Amino acid sequence: MTALPAKEQFDVIVVGAGPAGSAAALLSARAGLKVLLLERGEYPGAKNVSGAVFYGSAILNQLIPNWWEQAPVERYICRRDIAFMSPTTAVALDFRCAGSGYATAPYNGFSVLRPKFDRWLAAQAEAAGAFLLTSAVVDDVLWDDGRVVGVRVRREQGEIYGKVVIACDGVNSFLAKKAGLQREFHAHELSLGVKEVIGLDPAIIQDRFHLTGNEGIAFEYLGAITEDVHGGAFLYTNRDSLSLGVIGQVSSLVERRKRPYELLERFKAHPAVAPLVRGGKLREYSAHLIPESGWAMQPKLYTDGLLVAGDAAGFCLAAGLYLEGMNYAIQSGLAAAETAIAACRRGNFSARSLAVYRKHLKQRHVSTDFRAYRHAPSFVNGPRLQNLYPEMIARSMEQIFRVDGAPKRKILPLAYRMVRQSEIRPGQLLRDAYQVARAYLW
Amino acid sequence: MVMTTHEEKMRTVRFRVAATPHIVVNSEICRNECSVHACVYVCPANLFVPLDDGGILFNYEQCFECGTCYIACNQENAIRWSYPDGGYGVTFRES
Amino acid sequence: MRIAVCLKYVPDPGTIEVDPLTGLIAADRLLYMLNPADESALELALRLRPPQGTVTVFNVGPVEADRLLQEALAAGADAAVRVWDSAISSTKPMITTILLAAALRAAELPDLVLCGGHSVDRGSGTVPALLAEHLGWPVVTEVTQFEMQPDELQSGRMRVQRRLARGARAESEVTLPAILGLETGLVHLRQASLPSLMRVKHTPIPLYGLEELGLSPQDLHFPAMTLHEVMPPRPRARVMFTPDCHRSAPERVAQILSAGVAGKAGQILDSGTPEQQADAIIDFLRQHGFLEKSP
Repeated sequence: MTALPAKEQFDVIVVGAGPAGSAAALLSARAGLKVLLLERGEYPGAKNVSGAVFYGSAILNQLIPNWWEQAPVERYICRRDIAFMSPTTAVALDFRCAGSGYATAPYNGFSVLRPKFDRWLAAQAEAAGAFLLTSAVVDDVLWDDGRVVGVRVRREQGEIYGKVVIACDGVNSFLAKKAGLQREFHAHELSLGVKEVIGLDPAIIQDRFHLTGNEGIAFEYLGAITEDVHGGAFLYTNRDSLSLGVIGQVSSLVERRKRPYELLERFKAHPAVAPLVRGGKLREYSAHLIPESGWAMQPKLYTDGLLVAGDAAGFCLAAGLYLEGMNYAIQSGLAAAETAIAACRRGNFSARSLAVYRKHLKQRHVSTDFRAYRHAPSFVNGPRLQNLYPEMIARSMEQIFRVDGAPKRKILPLAYRMVRQSEIRPGQLLRDAYQVARAYLW
Repeated sequence: MVMTTHEEKMRTVRFRVAATPHIVVNSEICRNECSVHACVYVCPANLFVPLDDGGILFNYEQCFECGTCYIACNQENAIRWSYPDGGYGVTFRES
Repeated sequence: MRIAVCLKYVPDPGTIEVDPLTGLIAADRLLYMLNPADESALELALRLRPPQGTVTVFNVGPVEADRLLQEALAAGADAAVRVWDSAISSTKPMITTILLAAALRAAELPDLVLCGGHSVDRGSGTVPALLAEHLGWPVVTEVTQFEMQPDELQSGRMRVQRRLARGARAESEVTLPAILGLETGLVHLRQASLPSLMRVKHTPIPLYGLEELGLSPQDLHFPAMTLHEVMPPRPRARVMFTPDCHRSAPERVAQILSAGVAGKAGQILDSGTPEQQADAIIDFLRQHGFLEKSP
């Protein structure tokens, strides 16, 4: 391998200043490395969209103690609701915890607005010594002797060299594909989220959602909310606004010929949702792809001189009960930084040297979580669990509570009739029950 | 104003329009080889317009850069996709 | 040749949201940018700059505008100056131009000053003229093009094209030093190269306060026009059009589709031979003066 001391302008080049990239840049810079953090937007967060609840408070607290006191957070999430919906009914599981870790430091999660939060996190990386450059879109990696030695920014004299490149360039990662680590995706592996931020007076939010002070709630909806499109919906409270959106599998949107923003309108009009959003004013509409297949769409995570983290590595856990991405983004960014720091100490940036990335991911419980829930996405994001069963639960409750002079049925015959009316075969039901158990229980 | 039309939604988003398009649609392929035209339905910004001759007209100015069209398209090379130049394109303020 | 360009940091008009009740702009929703006309001015200055020349950019504004001046440096400007002082309370054209004139003098007067003709926020279009008044220089506004041949560089004369009303254009000549006010959207500013973009990131921008400019707060106390309120266009009352109930259904549908707008009175020639129809058209054109009347 030819030595290229003149070309090694940076120790680490991080592409993408989202949570993964900024966390990687922050940790690398703190270790004394010369770090370049590249962002294609006008500012970090300008291109970024998620729900967004950030469930990584405790992780970030280890990096920046009491980070929530200085960061632009909206509300701490101490209530969570999972609602099963039919077109006219909703049955909800309501969780509220006033206990430690949820309603007290370090908190479990915060609702955030990404353009503000990501900008703040990138500023922390900058304060630690990383060189943040915005308005810089990266088109390709630079190779030398079979090893990644830098990136090409789409500007005059855009070649820039570094010992390690960490690709945190998001779900569409051009870098992972250019480096041959990622294949082209199938439409069933990704979901499209469309979202609105709706302005609402803080006092109304508190009254309407039974919240005190800065408490917040996260609603997740399953069932007939997206009609026959495989997907779900969410609604989160911010300080003076609501973030709500609909998620639909891309292949399913194509098959059903559904326009995502029309599903969003129908969601807001649902009798269980309409009173929650009433009187609000649309502040911003947005859309983003979600790498929902997790484990199945994970790229090769490293090659000579290159590491992949965050959404670019498919580190997004979308498995019914869980809808988490930013925490894994930060954890994988930190794991990549640890790998880069160790490689810089050794002076060896070969794939063999970077293979410890796997170990660091395991230590940070990223790969272990994705391995444990590897069966969930393909099944949970399928039609029956996301749409059909939740709707059946909602319909059953409607039957159970109904008093109309007809004889009361016991639950088992009722359930039997529900299954009969749907087109599910009993065998399929059993198989699904087994799969749910395998996905979540053991 | 909770219920909004698609036009009202798009008016809340800020775009800094680049001089050149970052997505190019090969309308020949759309016209001759594609009968699905998935892009027309899935695009959250509703930027793909079906033409009378079976082709597709694409407007890049209000693109969210989400990549859904590229993922949904079942034709080879019908959509050439990259990001806009640095600093251009969609700029979210609150999402 | 020394060229100065005045740059203004303005809110992107697409991000301006006015609360209809209070009339206030939602400040937290604003995103800022370089005024488009000033962008043209900077690019044209860079193109005009002869090998020995310099381009210096000036801004009157708070510290947030440093980003803008750094971008101008990255694009190729040789130097940047920002003017601000805690005593400055407004960026009205009158005050801005007093400050700009003082800053231009402090940095040694240039040969040519380029300004965007209008800003997208205030848009009074008075800065070039006021600046000319303070400096006692000639000014040309609504400029769309200008050029200087090498011999004109020697003689200090410049040819300028101006936009007039209804698409007319005027060719003028102006003797330097002079001020030009440029139209919006003439050219785009070039993309800075990666090394220049990285170089300017931490380049400090020299700041001129009132003291450095030899001004006192009294100099800015000018009995200028005060803007009280900007009112959005008053919405017109909508009158629902109702069709004439005596007409047949197709006629009523046609009336509704026309939204009550009566078409221009005309005649449809659907009968007669082609020759007769042609004669009717010629008659019509003669009657309305499009063709000379036959003797």
